[in-house]
Amino acid sequence: MNHILGIRHHGPGSARNVKAFLEAVKPDIVLIEGPPEADELLRWVSDEGLQPPVAILLYQADALQQSVFYPFAEFSPEWQAMLYARQHNIPVRFMDLPVAHTFGIQAQEGQEPAVPVAMATEAPPDAELPAVEVPETEDIYGNAPLRWMAHAGGHTDSDKWWEHTFENRVSNEEVFTAVSEMMRAAREDKPVKDRQEQLREAWMRKTIRQAQKEMYTEVAVICGAWHVPALTQMPPQKEDNELLKGLPKVKVECTWIPWTYSRLSFSSGYGAGINSPGWYSHLWHYPEDDGTRWMAGVAKLLREKQMDTSVAHIIESVRLAHSLAALRGLTKPGLEELNEATLSVVCHGEPMLMQLIKEELIVSNRIGTLPAGIPKPPLQADIEKWQKKLRLPATAAWKDYTLDLRKETDLERSMLLHRLQLLGIHWGKPSGVSGKGTFKEQWRLQWNPELAIDIIDKGNWGNTVEAAATAYVIHQATTAASLQVLCTLLQQALPAELPQAVEALIVQVTNQSAATGDVMQLMQVIAPLVTVSRYGNVRKTNAALVTGIVTGMITRVCISLPGACTGIADDAAQKMLALFLEMNNAISLLQQHDSTREWQQTLQRIAGSNSTHPVIAGYCTRLLADYKLLEGEALVKVFYSAVSAAVAPALAAAWIEGFLKGSGTLLLLDADLWLVVNDWVKQLPEESFIQVLPLLRRTFSHYTTPERRKLGEKVRQGDTPTGNRTAEQTVDAARGERALPVIMQLLGYPAL
Amino acid sequence: MSQVLRGHAEDLYALELEELKKQDSGRRPANWQLTPQSVVTYLVGGTLSNGFEVSPKYIGNRRLMEIAVATLTTDRALLLYGLPGTAKSWVSEHLAAGISGDSTLIIQGTAGTSEEAIRYGWNYARLLAEGPSEKALVETPVARAMKDGKIARIEELTRIGADVQDTLITILSEKTLPVPELNTEIQAVRGFNIIATANNRDKGVNDLSSALKRRFNTVILPVPDSMEEEMDIVKRRVESFEKVMEVPAEPPALQEIRRIVTIFRELRSGVTIDGKTKLKTPSGTLSTAEAISVVNNGMAMAGYFGDGRLTAEDLAAGITGAILKDPVQDKVVWQEYLETVVKSREDWKDIYRACKNVL
Repeated sequence: MNHILGIRHHGPGSARNVKAFLEAVKPDIVLIEGPPEADELLRWVSDEGLQPPVAILLYQADALQQSVFYPFAEFSPEWQAMLYARQHNIPVRFMDLPVAHTFGIQAQEGQEPAVPVAMATEAPPDAELPAVEVPETEDIYGNAPLRWMAHAGGHTDSDKWWEHTFENRVSNEEVFTAVSEMMRAAREDKPVKDRQEQLREAWMRKTIRQAQKEMYTEVAVICGAWHVPALTQMPPQKEDNELLKGLPKVKVECTWIPWTYSRLSFSSGYGAGINSPGWYSHLWHYPEDDGTRWMAGVAKLLREKQMDTSVAHIIESVRLAHSLAALRGLTKPGLEELNEATLSVVCHGEPMLMQLIKEELIVSNRIGTLPAGIPKPPLQADIEKWQKKLRLPATAAWKDYTLDLRKETDLERSMLLHRLQLLGIHWGKPSGVSGKGTFKEQWRLQWNPELAIDIIDKGNWGNTVEAAATAYVIHQATTAASLQVLCTLLQQALPAELPQAVEALIVQVTNQSAATGDVMQLMQVIAPLVTVSRYGNVRKTNAALVTGIVTGMITRVCISLPGACTGIADDAAQKMLALFLEMNNAISLLQQHDSTREWQQTLQRIAGSNSTHPVIAGYCTRLLADYKLLEGEALVKVFYSAVSAAVAPALAAAWIEGFLKGSGTLLLLDADLWLVVNDWVKQLPEESFIQVLPLLRRTFSHYTTPERRKLGEKVRQGDTPTGNRTAEQTVDAARGERALPVIMQLLGYPAL
Repeated sequence: MSQVLRGHAEDLYALELEELKKQDSGRRPANWQLTPQSVVTYLVGGTLSNGFEVSPKYIGNRRLMEIAVATLTTDRALLLYGLPGTAKSWVSEHLAAGISGDSTLIIQGTAGTSEEAIRYGWNYARLLAEGPSEKALVETPVARAMKDGKIARIEELTRIGADVQDTLITILSEKTLPVPELNTEIQAVRGFNIIATANNRDKGVNDLSSALKRRFNTVILPVPDSMEEEMDIVKRRVESFEKVMEVPAEPPALQEIRRIVTIFRELRSGVTIDGKTKLKTPSGTLSTAEAISVVNNGMAMAGYFGDGRLTAEDLAAGITGAILKDPVQDKVVWQEYLETVVKSREDWKDIYRACKNVL
């Protein structure tokens, strides 16, 4: 006899009913709506290590973007059916249309297969397990029969109606008969027209017939409620065979992957999603709970987050939830009543806290686990090995790690994370570190089940994280188009400690830097490279390698830079100025005697050339002054000649702008320099002064306020000639004498 | 027609309450006039099994009303919280009318509300003449509600000083009001509860102490969700106003109400309905209640000074007055709105001209 059990995917009530039914009927085979390719995987279900939520991942071996997930939670009826079958040692099979055909048909029909991996849960639409399959019927008919029934039952939402009618009840007698009859009525005058749908149901019937042929007598079939009528009234076998003949097929691989509750929820874009996996899990474990246990959980959570929650709050919440349920004619409070009570009593009407409860309890962060022995892609296995070794568990909620790279474990952790980052497996996200020092790294880790696809995708590059990352980086290095891309890659590859990849990158960088004629591009990459070579030591990387290329690049820059600074426009000069600053800092950081000298010589050449853009010439002079290569008399001389009367005021002002770039302190402290500038400004004729004023103003406006104030004070003091000062000191004796009588009186002497 | 300016809810809707009572089946909490289900129906409206139509008093989320009523069935008090003009007092009045059939046990909270106004006071003439006695005791609405098992209402709870607020703690937790002078107490009869309202816009209010807060369940009343909902509210309230005030004007065209509600919604949310233009928001709350009073005001103008038809001129003064709460800032906001939004709307020319004249 066939027992067709119509269920809703991920429904705790359905799961309980299925379990009770199976235990009562004791079938000798269980058939479940699901991909037959995964039959082999079913033997793992009874393994201790396989803890839901987990999903079966099926993917087309040669086109990874074609993939589909079948998630199962503890409270999924399918999961309970599998568990029952495994525990009672009876065969269990999947009976849906093989995914190989689904993908094949899609490919044949030329449907766009390029579904982004993250959206793979939605494609192909029908291979999913939609909740009560309502969306399907809506798509096909435009109006859902279930909605009519919900309406008749006094509910606005068909999902809620199903929940109240089937999921939340405790007694389960004849539930399946009721579902079957209801669905038959719903489907009576709406024959299935969609071909995919017809194929799926035909395949299900085929599997049932096969089981009967194999002399199984009590066949239990677990499927979405919508399919029940199609499986109870079987059309002739010939029709189905006809339909299923010659279906296209592709090669499909499958495996178990851990899943999370948040990925089961609607908000993640999962077609058959449910709103509240955490609540369902609670319902599954504590079917008799009247809300007390749930509210206690809420209180515990809120207290963990330092929110005062008393027992009285919980008592009142439970009472309010019960009153609400009574008011709405429910036998016991559901999640909505409990939420409303929590909002009103515990949160004082503030919806902010409810968000927290939603994240932590209603959806919950639970993540499934897989047994160690399960066959999985080698790269996945390697990642898990590292996760275990480095004690970096994959969690569904994000967690922050601050790594101290001086410690062995933290260094290895950082290495792993950097390698995964290079592979495009974004488990961790580096974030800014507070505090000083280069030995610290901050990471935020959050495991997302769909990373499984990335892992399989990148598995082509190697079987271990190290090998795959190396191969992948080398591949990127050989195809990289610009020097900047290469340098970014190098910067990322160094902390990942991939010597081979780094070597390949360095060869590429050297080649490209030799070939490039663009000095500015070279200057841009030097700064980050120097940082690497200087601070790389914390990670014990071979910084000498990088230093080698950097010095080579500096030589190249020094050779072509003077030429690059002549005859350029004002904006280009400004850009160049910024690069000079970076480059200069980089060279000071590098502390390589040869490179520094080379750089200084170049600066001298640029500063001394007449054709250099005045802003750059000025800045170079200033840098030379900073290096103490140009001091005292010499500096004054250079300044005089740069701003002498023969030079057009605009050019002179540009030179000063470059010269004074960044800091006015030099001007404040160097008396000679001050005199030079001061005298120059004073001797400017009025017209020229007006002409250079905006430029000067621009230069001075870059200074900090205290600097400007001090400069102003200095000008005022300097403007007072010494002669005046003595004049001020002379006393007007006549005026002073007039005050004397009063002062004498004040001091108590008799008046004169 | 009664000479009363504004009747109590239980008088105005006596017929509905009567019908609901007749139809009522199910268990009533002690001293309640209706079952909780019927109270909810009374508030949100509906059709009874005999075809009697109950008018909606609160237009909005039914669930909020369910929470409010369910709260009153427990022994926790109800705190209605929200912006001014979101029907807090209105809901509280109708809840009291629906549950106790009496919405008159009310205390208006002010900074000057004293303990005597909440607990009990003395008739000093009697007190001096006869000494402390039951007769010399002046009962407050709260004391009376406790004796009769009814709902007492406290308006603007947060305006009352914190020390005075806390006298409610004993009343709410022990359900008793000790009178030490007479060595006696007033014990609350079943059915007693308190509905308080408070608004979250005011500054300088006294927040509830956490001990008191714990005795209240909070329901936040939001501003209306949609344009249609808000128009519905304004229309219904204006119609009921006509009934009460006997204004001779014609009922307002939906068109006029739509325009007022649009102006208020747009200024309140700081963006035009089509979402294309950003607007400055004025300092006032521009609640639905104010929209209602603008329409009422306009109708009175039309009825007594105009031709009985509500026109833009009749409304202009009311709108301007409602929006210009701050003579300097709000004027800029309003002028900008007039010039950038109102002026450019094809069929709003009359309202633009009328408002410009008033400014």
